[in-house]
Amino acid sequence: MEFRESPISAHHNYLVNGMLAQGFVVGDPSSKDHFFFLADVVLQGETRPRISARLMDEDSHPLLELKVNRIGENPGKCSIESAFAGYRIRCSSGDVLIEVRTEAFANGYLTRIKARLFDEHGHLRVETRDESIWIHGEEYLFLAGPLPEGRAVRRK
Amino acid sequence: MDKSGLLHGVWVFGDYRNYFQNRVTLQLIAKGRELAETLRTRVTVLLLGEAVHQYAMEYIAHGADIVMVAEHPDLRCYQVESYTNVVARWAEAFKPDILLGGATSFGREFFPRLAKRLKTGLSADCVRLEVDPDTGLLLQTTPAFGGNLLAEVVSSHRRPQMATIHPYVFKELPHKASAVGRVVYPEIEVKANTQVRVLRSRRQQARGGNLEDAQIVIVGGRGLGSREQFKLLFELAELLAGEVGATRPVVRAGWADEERLLGQTGKTVKPKLLISIGTSGALQYTTGINGAETIIAVNRDAHAPIFKMADLGLVGESSAVLPLLLETLRKRI
Repeated sequence: MEFRESPISAHHNYLVNGMLAQGFVVGDPSSKDHFFFLADVVLQGETRPRISARLMDEDSHPLLELKVNRIGENPGKCSIESAFAGYRIRCSSGDVLIEVRTEAFANGYLTRIKARLFDEHGHLRVETRDESIWIHGEEYLFLAGPLPEGRAVRRK
Repeated sequence: MDKSGLLHGVWVFGDYRNYFQNRVTLQLIAKGRELAETLRTRVTVLLLGEAVHQYAMEYIAHGADIVMVAEHPDLRCYQVESYTNVVARWAEAFKPDILLGGATSFGREFFPRLAKRLKTGLSADCVRLEVDPDTGLLLQTTPAFGGNLLAEVVSSHRRPQMATIHPYVFKELPHKASAVGRVVYPEIEVKANTQVRVLRSRRQQARGGNLEDAQIVIVGGRGLGSREQFKLLFELAELLAGEVGATRPVVRAGWADEERLLGQTGKTVKPKLLISIGTSGALQYTTGINGAETIIAVNRDAHAPIFKMADLGLVGESSAVLPLLLETLRKRI
């Protein structure tokens, strides 16, 4: 019988591909200018998700870099704002690029991400369906532990 | 590598309804963990429903290695047919060695049907589970022959070895927020049930109070003689800040609701003090009170089995002892 699986934590998880996962990465965060999206493992004691990314628009133009929920390089003049139980990033056009919302349970946290993201080739890599983020393509990885900064990611 | 091999081992059915009160699944995960360590395998909890993420995380925090999830709108409310179909297919595909479930009203409907579907045996209402060190088989201790003796049941050939266990027979592991595990989503095929359609579900108000967590429990048996005498137990419980339990003959006589039933087919309690009045001490009843720290028994028959397990015994008519006890307590409390 076929099955899908991922590592999960008792403390915090993301909802990705309709599954719980304690962390995942799309693309390669160690690359200099390629698209990536990293939802890193949140350890006990922290309650916020750890999102880092290099994002492009549909026409492959760089939009911004996100380093653990903070905007870094920002050629697309995007803006970040607080939202219910999380935050939202808007493009200069005002359209929402990413929305991150963390639900607190009695003993843990679940983060849901809404986004529609494209890679450097203009290919759709991430979109939202049924409350979950869904990844297109094979190049992604579920994380069994926090991803050390600058570490290259094995390509699936 | 065939990853499905990771899913052999000990399975526990996750009954998350009324999760924060009903702890039987967590208690079975703790026991499953102990069995799995002996057998050098893993504990997998089965979780069926819709939007059950929170419970998957809770089960990992309480000792599960793997949570196997079936999420589907048609699994939101328990229905024996659809639940049996999903779990039977999983068991046939992944071949667990052991499958444990709670001996609850849900378990009494679901597990016999599942066992029949899997063509294996089921030891119901077990009070002890151990692994035979020589054979690695599960030794399932359950009351037999009307509860007059404890039988040790072994399933030598059929798999999984299935058992249901009363709440509070085992102790849950503490919540560990740093725990990690795996979540597995096997393919599922949920057929809409054409015979039963759930229109709505509503939580029933508990009438048995918080019996399983009570520190003081007063239990009445048939020896009380009448419904009026049984009602006096509520007054006694109020004076002592306790809860009232009942034996099967009392429930059958309609003196108490089924929710107050203790023993083999009812609840299991572990209070600091249990006062057992007018109960003979049949095994069907005493399997539910074995964990009480101190037992005081009142019965007119000096040879009643209840006195063998009581710390303090009082031989006398309940109808005489109970009013005296109430009168004394009213003066002192």
